[in-house]
Amino acid sequence: MKIHYISGIAALFVVAVHIIMRLVMPFSMSLEYENVIANYQNIAYAVLLESILVLIAIHGFNGLRIILLEFRQNIAWENGVTVFTLVAMVALIAYGTRTIIIANGLG
Amino acid sequence: MKSFNEDRIYSNSNKRENREGLKAWLNPSRYGWERISYWLQRLTGVFLLIYFVGHVIETSSLVDGKDAWNAMLELTQTTWGHLFLILVIGTSTFHSANGIRLLFTETGRAVGKPGRPDYPYSPVSLNYRQKSGIWIALILAATAMLYGANILFAGE
Repeated sequence: MKIHYISGIAALFVVAVHIIMRLVMPFSMSLEYENVIANYQNIAYAVLLESILVLIAIHGFNGLRIILLEFRQNIAWENGVTVFTLVAMVALIAYGTRTIIIANGLG
Repeated sequence: MKSFNEDRIYSNSNKRENREGLKAWLNPSRYGWERISYWLQRLTGVFLLIYFVGHVIETSSLVDGKDAWNAMLELTQTTWGHLFLILVIGTSTFHSANGIRLLFTETGRAVGKPGRPDYPYSPVSLNYRQKSGIWIALILAATAMLYGANILFAGE
């Protein structure tokens, strides 16, 4: 459970910064294409987004794994659930990282 | 007196009987407040994971240019989109606040000390601190939803 609590607490801080960034100007203005691209092109913010992506993916899929393991206990199920959640986590991180990298390079 | 083998046969034949599966997991009516908090923590967690996956896919429209981004925004910047976001705000606030309570519980804080089980056998661990924690999480979630609604609907 340590990884679950550590990723949860860390995610709380980075998500708080992410939300505050949406509130430094009127909410609808903060979502305008130019403002969002400017956010992604800021290296510190891109690192923050990547850390949110990794932390929440770990926390979320580990949480799902815990829930699924509560349903049934046998080796095939436990291994299957662990492999499924790991693959889904890596796929989501890869997809989100692709967005961050491409948006960071847009002019 | 039953033999070891009889015990094994008995336990094997009954091993699925107490397994209620999803029905037991979704039943909030038993075991009191701690059970409801357990139920809400898991439901909000699954909901937030689904939202997170959707959010990552939704924001990827950014890489297809301004038109794709604006088309995606049009879908979300509606009354229903705002109501959905308010639900996300509420569930994430509850999940975070209740998660902090669980972190304290896991590390042995605010669970009381073990004592002799006396009538009416109230569990020491479910004390006023734990119950207050659950209520604080619910109140914080409601406050965050009101704040979110104020910001989201002020722009319309």
